[in-house]
Amino acid sequence: MDPRYEVPRRAGAGGSSNSSPALGASSRRRKIPPRPADFKLQIIIIGSRGVGKTSLMERFTDDTFCEACKSTVGVDFKIKTVDLRGKKIRLQIWDTAGQERFNSITSAYYRGAKGIVLVYDITKQETFEDLPKWMKMIDKYASEEAELLLVGNKLDCETDRIVTKQQAERFASRISGMRFCEASAKDNFNVDEIFLKLVDDILSKMPLEIPSRELSNSILSLQPEPEVPPELPPPRMRCC
Amino acid sequence: MDKDEHSVDPEGSSADRSGLVSEDGKNTKSVLCQRCGSKVLCPGMAVFSEKELFLPSMKKKRALSTSEGPMDGDNLTAHWLVDDMYTFENVGFTNDVGRIKYLICADCEIGPIGWHCLDDKKSFYVAVERVNHA
Repeated sequence: MDPRYEVPRRAGAGGSSNSSPALGASSRRRKIPPRPADFKLQIIIIGSRGVGKTSLMERFTDDTFCEACKSTVGVDFKIKTVDLRGKKIRLQIWDTAGQERFNSITSAYYRGAKGIVLVYDITKQETFEDLPKWMKMIDKYASEEAELLLVGNKLDCETDRIVTKQQAERFASRISGMRFCEASAKDNFNVDEIFLKLVDDILSKMPLEIPSRELSNSILSLQPEPEVPPELPPPRMRCC
Repeated sequence: MDKDEHSVDPEGSSADRSGLVSEDGKNTKSVLCQRCGSKVLCPGMAVFSEKELFLPSMKKKRALSTSEGPMDGDNLTAHWLVDDMYTFENVGFTNDVGRIKYLICADCEIGPIGWHCLDDKKSFYVAVERVNHA
């Protein structure tokens, strides 16, 4: 309609249908692009209310859509790309904010996750004491192979610290394979490192020779919805 | 090499846009967040597509709130279309608004920059007007 949007689409663009512009010639002709990423991984962020799960995914916010978005609609998940070991890895990151009551986070979130970030607030004892309950959820629903990372958040509030680093290290050391670090989403301290570390751990467990497509098919679902289990193909990749 | 493309649209208001679309209808440049520069799409990964979609305003608070009067926003026609969400380098999805999920910047969360309908799981639109190209 708007002439400003007229762009040359010559090859085969003879009669793009007007009634259904979305199915115009250009989109019909599109070829499947080369696989854009080498690996695709689902990561979930869990933890008690107010520990800063969401802010771990954010760099900065100000008075724009984000504010509106948070109070009304909210962010469901994000796709993020990291480069590691010469591979391009797409992360699908689910933040479970707003569903903190332990049992309200359905198993669908956990099932496909290759990495689980468990967050507590270093200034709030109760969020640390909740950790065993979160671990129960992980044990119950998550793949045994999922990488676990414990994050003590709000390092910027050091003066209000209640949970010592040693306490958390002790907790993490009792769970096999659990890593631990402290971070500040507010200062963006350690935040990128958290995800890179986690992804690196996931990659090192992975049989890298498996074609990425096969791999991705087994761990992805297009639109996992909390209430309805996502349409995951049979879990044939739960290897060894 | 670009001679051909040039001759198609030597002048006029669409000149700037034609430089964004390749011969085969794909994005010649990276698609970036207008605010923070976060990369949304790599070159050549999306197809230019025309479809009239309503996107709530990027600026107004409570633009998505349906309770108070008509939503503030734009009907946008020019989009980058991808058929798999994993084609994106970085992007965020809002919770459902009806059958729609809006796309936002994964880093600074500005948006909506795009549109996805749950009834069509193979179509993810990013509004050309709401992103930068470089």
